[in-house]
Formats: sequence, structure tokens, C-alpha cells
Amino acid sequence: MAKQLIALTVNGDPYEVAVSPHQTLLEVMRDSLNLTGTKRGCTAGSCGVCTVNGEQGEVILSCLALAVEWDGRSVTTVEGVEEGNELHPIQKSFLEHGAVQCGFCTPGLIMSAKALLDVNTSPSETDINEAMAGVICRCTGHIKVKKAIKEAASVLREREVNHGES
Amino acid sequence: MAKAKIKNNVPTKSRTKEDLAVVGKNWSRLDGADKVSGRSIFADDVRLPGMLFAKVVRSPYPHARIISIDTSEAEALPGVKAVITPEDAKDIWIGISQPLLPTENVTHVGHEVAAVAAMSEEIAAQAAALIKVEYERLPELLDVEKALKEDAPQLHEKAALNIGWQQEEEHGDPDAVFAECDVIREDTYITNPSHNCYAEYHVCVADFTKPGKLKMWTPTQTAHLFQQSLAAGFKLPASDVRLLTLNTGGGFTGRTSTRPHHFLAALLSRKAGKPVRLRAAGDEEFIMCRAGGKVIYKLRSGASKDGKLKVIEADLLFDTGAYIESQMIVTLLTSKYIHALYPIEASRYRGRLVHTNHLPYYFHHGGGIAQFQFALGQHVDALAREMGMDPVEFNLLNAVEEGHTTMEGAHYASCGLKECIEKTAAMAGWNDKYGKLPKFKGIGIGIGAMASGAKGLYKHDTSAAFVKVTEDGKASLFVGLPDMGQSSHTTMAIICAEVLGILPTDITVISGDTDTDPLDIGAFTQRGTFNTGNATKNAAIDARDQLAKTAANILEVDEAQLVFRDGKVYPEGQEDKAIAFAKVVYKTLHSREGRFVMGRGFYNSPLEKGTMAYSFGAQIAEVTVDPGTGVVTVDKMTASHDVGRAINPRVVEGQIDGQIFSGMSQVLYEETLMEDGQVMNPSRLDYKMPRAFEMPEVDHIIVESIDPNGPFGAKEVGEGPIVCTMQAIANAVTNAIGDQVTEMPLAPWRVIRAIKD
Ligand code: FES
Ligand code: FES
Repeated sequence: MAKQLIALTVNGDPYEVAVSPHQTLLEVMRDSLNLTGTKRGCTAGSCGVCTVNGEQGEVILSCLALAVEWDGRSVTTVEGVEEGNELHPIQKSFLEHGAVQCGFCTPGLIMSAKALLDVNTSPSETDINEAMAGVICRCTGHIKVKKAIKEAASVLREREVNHGES
Repeated sequence: MAKAKIKNNVPTKSRTKEDLAVVGKNWSRLDGADKVSGRSIFADDVRLPGMLFAKVVRSPYPHARIISIDTSEAEALPGVKAVITPEDAKDIWIGISQPLLPTENVTHVGHEVAAVAAMSEEIAAQAAALIKVEYERLPELLDVEKALKEDAPQLHEKAALNIGWQQEEEHGDPDAVFAECDVIREDTYITNPSHNCYAEYHVCVADFTKPGKLKMWTPTQTAHLFQQSLAAGFKLPASDVRLLTLNTGGGFTGRTSTRPHHFLAALLSRKAGKPVRLRAAGDEEFIMCRAGGKVIYKLRSGASKDGKLKVIEADLLFDTGAYIESQMIVTLLTSKYIHALYPIEASRYRGRLVHTNHLPYYFHHGGGIAQFQFALGQHVDALAREMGMDPVEFNLLNAVEEGHTTMEGAHYASCGLKECIEKTAAMAGWNDKYGKLPKFKGIGIGIGAMASGAKGLYKHDTSAAFVKVTEDGKASLFVGLPDMGQSSHTTMAIICAEVLGILPTDITVISGDTDTDPLDIGAFTQRGTFNTGNATKNAAIDARDQLAKTAANILEVDEAQLVFRDGKVYPEGQEDKAIAFAKVVYKTLHSREGRFVMGRGFYNSPLEKGTMAYSFGAQIAEVTVDPGTGVVTVDKMTASHDVGRAINPRVVEGQIDGQIFSGMSQVLYEETLMEDGQVMNPSRLDYKMPRAFEMPEVDHIIVESIDPNGPFGAKEVGEGPIVCTMQAIANAVTNAIGDQVTEMPLAPWRVIRAIKD
């Protein structure tokens, strides 16, 4: 089948890449662009490790997204979350609260948490539960993950306040 | 000059937390920044020049004779670089009894028959579909109890009645003790097939392009045993097989031995002359993994009327599937845990591994022990209730204590079991709740023991470590222990830092390459913190001894008076005289001797068999059962664990959390539904595990019994907690509905049936 050239922006970097119509965003990022931070799990939408964020900050399972549909669009992956050379408050919080064990699901958890906290820095328990429901983490039991998200939320809230004052 | 002994950091009971500089504080994992930013490399991320992609052809039948294999169309497909069939795999064995590819019969669904390597995963899949295999169906063994019948077909010539392995053990005189008992109880429990479901699917990259040299990147709990197994399979010297571990996306007892895909990728790489990646696709993950099979536990025990447990008898029947490689470990382990918790007078054990036409089963998280405790914990709980005793009271009356030696010889140099039970019961408010809760609310307790290490499975149980100290006052620590997420590398850095008096963040842990790693049997049987921890400590002490000579010279004191702490070295009580650690390193190198500081150490249990340390724990579960649907909600878990010493307390909590998740998941949700030898729910949508919103609140209690043989008193937290979880939840469900659910998982339909009966 004929390949199609698409223009895809990942973490602010513009790429032009030839993709087959059936190739997923996950495959193109990992295999054509060598961006392996986003993990490959079930490739069937059931584990969440491949989660990235779309332009509007929406949660995308990149294993279910067809690359051709992303022509002219942009995504953020776990490789694009850091702020300059600093870890993002969510990343820092995950690290400091022991929310990372094997780390294989971590990119999915971080991107799900980011999608939530980008629009809501005062999430309820239910908000967090719902936002994280798409990612299976076998190691942490989600307990420290939830704690890390709550702590990150408070850091981000403070930042909003300071930002508002300045 | 007599060899001076420097101040020893070996902890004693009197050693307080304040004496320790870095052990016992919360440290973030050293590889954490990489893990949260997508920089960590896992095997599926490895890209090699010219790398090919593999696909395996698998049997669709549980039992069949292979009549023919036609690979011609696959071989003609452009982009296909190698095809292998049983012809190519002659004389390659996995373990003792399994040929890599079957020459005559396939014995389970998913059994590997052929494999291809091609330029892309897509072409490989196309090629695999073009391989035509003709089969003749054979009679199938799909039930472990039926497989034992006289008239059942026999799967392996050497396994009469399909029993592949049997272990029997007796201690004391069980019949005589039973005769003395006032109460005797019998129960039968079942645990069903399950799957480890780690986040990282099965994958390996093999590079066998240089003749006689195999390189492999793959997730593992034990690079050492993988190296040995691949070397034996390919008849190579072990040092010509190089295992590269990188990160491992979870272990859960499921990555302790090689599987066919490791050998197939290597064989394809050798044939194609290119590196090959082989990864499980979708439902293949449920075939390549092979976690636990069905187990039937018949338990009988007796007690005196004053509540003393006197004798336990266990008869375990394991569906072991089509082949046995190392699964006999499960009978070795379960036979030990019959004595572990109670000082009984006699015991009898029989464990049988029975062949069926299911895939070869190994172990799910908990290694067979946690699943056995699901049965034993419920049985003992029922016995206590039968005698009118409160289960907490019963456990406190019977629990083992420090100094106890079990009937099979395990000695408890430290033991905080009673403390665990008491503290957990107090924190959970047991006395206010047990027997006082409304209908369909329940509370239950589970207790457990766990060895740190398992000498006897192999002749030695050795871990080794090197420490290289650099001029800038930092150090590199080389260990062969994999980190599958349990933060073991950071734990080792903390131990090393404590001895050298520097910070864990000053230490780079180097691991994951059998060419450079010192030997380590691996991260299983909860041996990491204790064995590799002791090895690390010994290596660090060796390095510190070398530095102490220099420092003693400069400070003109005896080496024995030196303290290494906070990046400084000083005579005890004279911190004002301190010299910087980095300066001592510098002076050691820039001396006439020119010594480069390298410490080495190893640890192996000094016993003929068994380990020096055992951990203990207790958990209390609180549940709500919906009488209409049978759904069990876990409302709260209170968990204590006697870890000896918490090297990194937050990691200890994380381990407890993860095991509560996994225990709850196994006892309530997880089951690979088998029909005609097929896994009917091979996906993460259909094979249920708890999501974030289903997790209960967890309260942690860390008990520190300071083990005299552990590094700074530490034991394990790697698998001890999960041993308590399943039984605690099951006992809480019993408490809620008034009847035992004897089959795991406690799926809603099983709970409803128990309520209705
Ligand atoms: S890889 Fe599992 S949901 Fe995408
Ligand atoms: S940290 Fe291992 S699966 Fe989440």
C-alpha cells in the first residue's frame, strides 16, 4: 500500500515522515522517529502505557491512533514534559513520592496525570481515579501514584497563585 | 603491624536510627529521573543495525501429532531472512525435559512449531501465516484430577499416572499427634490459573551473528541463570553468552527462567546472520508467560482444646502443564511453609506436579507460597472459629517467636511476628470490629513468613559486589542483582554509602551486563536486600579498609578509631579533626603506593541449606460484600511487615502497596479462563485487575526486628507482604457472609453461590 508523507510535530519538533495507512502513531513515533519514551504494551487500547497528549491536552492512546490522521497536528509525549532542564512538578512528585517502580507504565501515568492537571489543579479523588483508570500499573497498586498526583496538584496550584500575583 | 580493625558498622540490637547517616531515610530511586522522563531503555527500545523481527508459529491444538510442516511459501516471501523448524532445533533443550521445538507431538495450545525472521514485524507475521502445518489430533488431558486416573492417556513416557514430580515429607509422628488432638479439621481449597501481567510484555533481542558468541537483551529477574540456561541449550561456555538486562518492567516471580522465545530468537539470529527481536503480540503474551496453573490443596490439622495448633497435613496437586523445567521449586517451597508460622509438633506434606495438555505453568506473584497461604490461612481461621476462638487471639497464642527453629531446620534469629499481629490488630481496631460488624461487612486477618534467600535450590546462594572509589570522592557500585522496579539498586547504593560515609547520590550503580557484573543468582526468593546487601556491605567495608590506612596515617590515630560519615573521616568524637573523604581517596592514589581503591565482597548463606533470615507480617482486611451481585469491595487494608530494618522506608511502603494490589487482584479478580486448552480471556480488558478507583486505603506498619545477620539488620520485603493479603481478604469475606469461599479468585459468582448455599 502506498505510503503517505505526513507532517507531525512531536514535543515541538517538526517531522516529515512517510507512513503506511495502517501504521499507528505509536509505531511511527517509536520506529520511524526513534522516540522510544512512549512504551508499547498491549497495542489494543487496554493497558494505557502508550498514552500521549494531543494539542488540546487530550488523552490519546497512541496505539489506537492512525498516524495518517495526525498529519499537520502535534502531540506531547513523556519526553516533552520537562521544563527546560528541570523535571516538571508532576515528574518530580512521582519521583519523590515513590510512585515509580519498574517504570514501564510511568510514561502512561505521567501523561494521564498531565492531561488532568493541565486543566484542573484541584482534582477530587474521583477526578484522579477517573483520569488514571486507563493505565494499568502492576507495581505500585496506584496508591503512591495518587498521592504523587495530589502533591503535584498542590505545587501547580501554588504556581498558579504566584503567577496570578506577579 | 597487627592488622587493625576499623570501626565496624555491623548493627547490634542497641544501635539506634540516629547512629545511621543514610540508612533508614527516604531516598528517591537513583534511576527515577530517567524513568519519569522517558529516557529509560527497555529491551523493546533496543535498536541494532540490520535488526530483524521474528514471529512464531504456534499449535492451535492442546495435543496433536505433527504430520508435516511446509515452509516453502514463507521462504519465498520477499523480506523473509530465516525460517526455522524442528529440524533446526535438534538437540536444543530447555531445562531437562523440553525440546525447543517438538519433533513429534505438540502438547499444548501455543506450543512453538516454527519461527521466522523478516525485515519487519508485518512481513514476519505474513510469513508465519504462510507456514502450513498438518496435524493429527491426539487424546487430550485437560483436567488435573482426570490426568491422574489409571485410564488417562500418559503424556510423557517417564511420568507414570502423569506425575512429573512428587515430593513427600514427614516430620514428627503426625498420626500419633492427630490421635491426641481434641479438634481436627479438614478443608479443600482451589486456586485457578493466572497470569503475571507485568507492564512490559515478553521480549528479547538476540545477536548471535558472531560464531559461538550470543548476546541477548531481555527483561529478567536473573541474568545469571538465563546465561547458564542459554549456554547449556546452545552448548556454549557460559562466558560466551552475554546477558544485557537494561530495565525490567516487573518480575512478579515470572521472569526467573528462560522461555522458548529466548532460544528461538537466538536460533533465528544465528541462521539469518542478523540481530533478531522477538516480542509477544497481543494474546501471545498469555502463552509466552506461563504463570500459575490450577492447584488443589487438601488440608487437615489438629489442635488441643486450649487452642494450641499441634499438627498440619497438606496434600497439594498442581496442574504443571505439558513440561517441567524448574517448577519443582514450588513443592520445595510450599513444603517448608507448612512449618513456618506455628511451632507444631508434627507435619505431613505431599506435593505432586501433574502433567496436562495445558501450557507449562510456572508461578504467579507470590511464588506458590502466597497461594498456599490463601488455603492455609483460611483453614486455620476456620479451625480457630470452630473452637470458638478469635482468629487474632488464636494467631497470637500460636505464632512463632525469635529463637524458634522449625521442624525442617529454619532458625529465626529475629522474628517480629507477634509484634506485627498486635500492632496491626490495634491499628485496625480489630477488637471493636470483629464479630460486631453489620451483615455483609467483614474483617479478616492473614499472617505470613518469608525467607530471604533460598540456598538449597542451588548449591550456593551467592551474591557478589565491587566498589570502585574515585578521586572526586564518589563511588561506582557493581552488582549483578537486577532491579525490576523494587528499587534494589538504590537500596544497594544506600548500604554502600552508609559504610563509606558518603551519600547514596554519590554512588553510580552499574549493573545489567554479565560481562562486567559480579555474580549474583538474581532477584528472586527475596534474596536481594539480604544477600546482595551483605555482599555490597562487605565490598564497601573492603574499600573503606583501604582508605582507613591513609586516613589513620594522616590523623595519626589507630584505624579502629576512625569514623566515616557525612563525606568526612575523623577519629571518633573529634569531628573538628575531620578530613574530607575525597581527600583521603586522593591521598591514597597520590601516594608512593599509588593505590586505586577497589573493594570487593560477596555473601553466601553459611548454612548447608536454607537462609539465615526470615521476615514476618500480618495484614487485616476490611471488606463489604454486595449480597445482590456478590461483588467484594476492599475498604481498607492494615499491613505490617517485619523487615528487620527498613533501608529505605518509602520503598518498603511501596513494596507493601504493590503486593496488596497484587494479592487483592489475585484473590478477587485474576483467572485465566481455560476452555479446551485455550486461554479464553487473553487480554488486559478481559483478564481483570484492580484499577486506581478500586484500591482500598492502606495503612502501613513497619516493624524493625534488626536481624543480627542482615545488612544493618535488614531482611526482605520483596514477597513477604503478599503472603498475607489473599488469606486476609478471603477471611474478611468469610466474616462478612458467614461461609468460606474456598476457590480463588473469589469472583462474584462464587461469592453468590457461597451466600446462597
Ligand atoms: S499499548 Fe496498551 S493501550 Fe496502547
Ligand atoms: S511501575 Fe511497574 S507497572 Fe507501573
